Amino acid sequence: MMSKRRYLVFFILIVILMAVLTWVNVALGSADVSVKEILGILFGGSDEGLHANIIMNIRLPRTVSAILLGGALALSGYLMQTFFGNPIVGPFVLGISSGAKLTVALAMIFFLSKGREIGLYSMVGAAFVGAICAMGFVLLISLKVKRMSVLVVCGIMIGYICSAITDFVVTFADDSNIINLHNWSMGSLSGMNWDEIGIIAIIVAFCLVLSACMIKPMGAYRLGEAYAGSVGVNILLLRVMLIFASSLLAACVTAFAGPISFVGIAVPHLVRSFLKTDGPAVMIPGCFLGGAVVTLLCDAVARTVFAPTEVSISSVTALLLVPVVIYMMIKRNDRRESL
Amino acid sequence: MSKGIETSKLNIGYGFDLVKDICLEAKPGQILTLIGPNGCGKSTLLKTLTGELKKRGGVVYIDGTDKDEIKHAEVAKRLSMVMTYKVKPELMTCLEVVEVGRYPYTGHLGILSEHDKEVVKEVMEWTDVSDIADAYFTNISDGQRQRVMLARAICQEPEILILDEPTSFLDIKHKLDILDRIKKLAHEKNMAVVMSLHELEIAMRISDFVVAMGDGEVCRMGTPSEVFEESFIRELYGIQGKDIDLLGSRPWADVQLGTGPNCTKHPTIMIQGTMSNAGKSAIAAGLCRIFAEDGFKVAPFKSQNMALNSFVTEEGLEMGRAQVMQAECAGTKPLACMNPILLKPTSDMGSQVIVNGEVLGNMKAMDYFKRKTEFIPEIKKAYEKLAENYDIIVVEGAGSPVELNLKKDDIVNMGLAQMIDAPVLLVGDIDRGGIFPQLLGTLDLFEEKERSLVKGLIVNKFRGDARLFEDGVKILEERGGTKVVGVVPYMNVKLDDEDSLSERFYVNQTKEFDVAVIRLNHISNFTDFDTFEQIDKVSVRYVKDPNELGNPDIIILPGSKNTLEDLRAIKENGLADLVKTKVLRDNTPIFGICGGYQMLGRRIEDPEGVESGGLEEGLGLLPVDTVLGAEKTRTNFSGEIAGATGKFENLKGKPVEGYEIHMGTTTPYEDLTEFTFKRSGFCRGNVYGTYVHGFFDRKEILEAVTGATGIMDYKAFKETQYDLLAETLRENLDMDYIYKIMGIKR
Repeated sequence: MMSKRRYLVFFILIVILMAVLTWVNVALGSADVSVKEILGILFGGSDEGLHANIIMNIRLPRTVSAILLGGALALSGYLMQTFFGNPIVGPFVLGISSGAKLTVALAMIFFLSKGREIGLYSMVGAAFVGAICAMGFVLLISLKVKRMSVLVVCGIMIGYICSAITDFVVTFADDSNIINLHNWSMGSLSGMNWDEIGIIAIIVAFCLVLSACMIKPMGAYRLGEAYAGSVGVNILLLRVMLIFASSLLAACVTAFAGPISFVGIAVPHLVRSFLKTDGPAVMIPGCFLGGAVVTLLCDAVARTVFAPTEVSISSVTALLLVPVVIYMMIKRNDRRESL
Repeated sequence: MSKGIETSKLNIGYGFDLVKDICLEAKPGQILTLIGPNGCGKSTLLKTLTGELKKRGGVVYIDGTDKDEIKHAEVAKRLSMVMTYKVKPELMTCLEVVEVGRYPYTGHLGILSEHDKEVVKEVMEWTDVSDIADAYFTNISDGQRQRVMLARAICQEPEILILDEPTSFLDIKHKLDILDRIKKLAHEKNMAVVMSLHELEIAMRISDFVVAMGDGEVCRMGTPSEVFEESFIRELYGIQGKDIDLLGSRPWADVQLGTGPNCTKHPTIMIQGTMSNAGKSAIAAGLCRIFAEDGFKVAPFKSQNMALNSFVTEEGLEMGRAQVMQAECAGTKPLACMNPILLKPTSDMGSQVIVNGEVLGNMKAMDYFKRKTEFIPEIKKAYEKLAENYDIIVVEGAGSPVELNLKKDDIVNMGLAQMIDAPVLLVGDIDRGGIFPQLLGTLDLFEEKERSLVKGLIVNKFRGDARLFEDGVKILEERGGTKVVGVVPYMNVKLDDEDSLSERFYVNQTKEFDVAVIRLNHISNFTDFDTFEQIDKVSVRYVKDPNELGNPDIIILPGSKNTLEDLRAIKENGLADLVKTKVLRDNTPIFGICGGYQMLGRRIEDPEGVESGGLEEGLGLLPVDTVLGAEKTRTNFSGEIAGATGKFENLKGKPVEGYEIHMGTTTPYEDLTEFTFKRSGFCRGNVYGTYVHGFFDRKEILEAVTGATGIMDYKAFKETQYDLLAETLRENLDMDYIYKIMGIKR
């Protein structure tokens, strides 16, 4: 069977690519650490010294978080696309990420004004609340407006409103917080620690399991709500699960790395183009791995191109992925299909 | 054994009740089709059946169990659907689409078992989509897409299949394909199919049961032959009276030659006579009036009329006068379709043939007889048009229905009766004697199936006490085997019909006020003078021969179809000179109407050969000249008499109502008094000329001319005659029986 071979090739390739990029991300950096040394640190257990610290507590967490968060973002995008039955949506364009960003900023400032650092759980919780609120707003609009293009424009508007409010908040925040906040709100994977990664891993694992449970109904849902319902899909439950999982993933990413644009919309498309299917059984792992690879690549670029200055990862993803999105829209337009 | 799908008092709608109390049932092996105009709730009902839309009341039963009590996932194994949604799944192959149909049967991960795969394969072969299994669903044609969706629905192995307009957007091949499969699913795989269709012809053929929805309710349900009745379908879709020829075949059971079981019956009664002048027209007219009085919308109908005089309808179409009179009785506007074929004799050998009001051309009698069957569609069309718009149609036959040598391809009497499946009443004229041979002989000469259409006999024109004929009735009923519906007395009603025409021409008795109408060979519109007949002291004589003229109080020169020829004729036989003498010497007033008016003048020119061409000297009684032209003036006239001279000076200012139909213009060459307005007539002394037909219809004019008093407008007079006719018939006919044989319950 042609399709099975194609899937196999894809997964082998992407795993190899991931391994390579992981190595590159760990190996590259301003501090020059040799290959032998890295191998020694990683597998030899020699965790003493400056280089070991750089690898184990700076580069490796950053690389792992790129894998997890990138995968989470792409998966979130795929779930949303399934929900709306349209490939032009993602957490960023629908304003979900910006919603999460706003609530996280508010929470940070609230806690800082009380003289305390924000806890990790509070941050994830705040992001999730923001994501769900923004999603709810988009859903409300989608009840009234059936046209996808209008919905996307509304999502972008919501994103801008949230960003604007975030800017206000930042402007009136104490000086000491601004730098911290500013860095985060641009989107960055720097400064991850293992505690954070632990939480990210739990959330992402949970969402992956949830997604796996949805493989069957999502397959039927591709034919639209009515037909899915007619073959026995519990539509309401599926919709709630899709919203929950995609919002939680988007919130998780935003909470820890700030908004990372366009991975959620572009990666599922790229993966779909390679696999030549939209079936959830292959798309869920495919998107996750694809998101991880793309994010690893972008982070590597962000870190190294203008080294030692670091570019925000969102800028890199936008630069690399927006052309993909535009190409996709033009192609769809060619097929005379509505947005 | 499954019981299929059933609803009980189901209410459906979005936010409000669109349709209430729907009770329907589709058993396994049955196709139930929903029809109705856009927006009537067909799709809403289907969506409610599938559960996509919440019902607003009532119960849906699947296999006898309330659907609400069956688990959602379980319903999917029993009921599947193909709706009209445009589904555009990204990169989804047809195989994947069909496999979705196995959803209810697979485990949590949705992995297909060998059995599932086999089912999918089998179904895809059956629906002929195996070859496109790997093609993306978005890249195939509408026809293929519909088959793939059907395959998916079949894979659910349901007992009930719900289809929303399964044939829309498909070309005929794919339409046929899908319909064929749907039929097999019902009849071979024993599924209960509920579907909506816009194509009524298909619905009519494929359905076992039809539910017609419209205007917030289920309007009618039943077998196709029960639902597809023309008048009902037209009403359902709001196309009453519309020409639907564009659609091709008619989406209802057709009215065909002979009475098939599919023949839809419209309340109709047909009056046939044992001979000409048996009184068919009058009886038909009287029935028209009775039905109209009883609140029905009635139309008269006679497939073919032979008459010199035609009437011009508002649309400018020609029809026979008898149906005009009957239409007046029925209180409805005369329409050309009440008399689809009109033959106007132009010579002894041939006639002008007018079909549905328009002149087709001249035909010799033989040719017409040969081509008669060609007119059947026109007759049908005319009849159907009436059937759409009227509750009851009263059909009149022609002559005797058993003219055995002419019976082949009959389209006027029994041929027509069979075509429209009309009950027939046979009228005999007892006044002329031989009522038994008339009625019994006619019955005897009918073929069996013709005779079975005769539902009653009428003895007409009985003079004296009808009780004296009771024995006769008994004999007729016994030997004829048919009920005598009534014995109708000889009536002295004055009707404007063809049958009275012949009688009218032979009046020669003069009364107190004598009107002499010059009977031209091509006399037209002689009904202009019927109005005189209502006055007892007035006699109207039609004078053909100079020695018949006598000493009338007024002379009338009527209209003619061939003015020049008729003028020549009366000049030749001396009538012209005699009339001139009467007018000039005895001062007898003369009225010229239309053609007669033209004859009164100095001369008539026909430069374009509208009639026979040339130039003819007129009577020279009025200083006017007429030039005939091809352009036809056809207007209604309403006004007052502008001026009058001579004996009838008192006509000035009296109202005139009528109409003008003529070719040519008449202009005075001396100073003349304008008689009727707009230079449509002039007078000098006792000579009056006008183009206005119906000139004498108003009572004011009639009173002024005859000196009689207490008379009516002709219109009002006619109404009294119609009422009298209806009253007499009601007294003497068994109307309950007549309603019964028409299938009307009262």
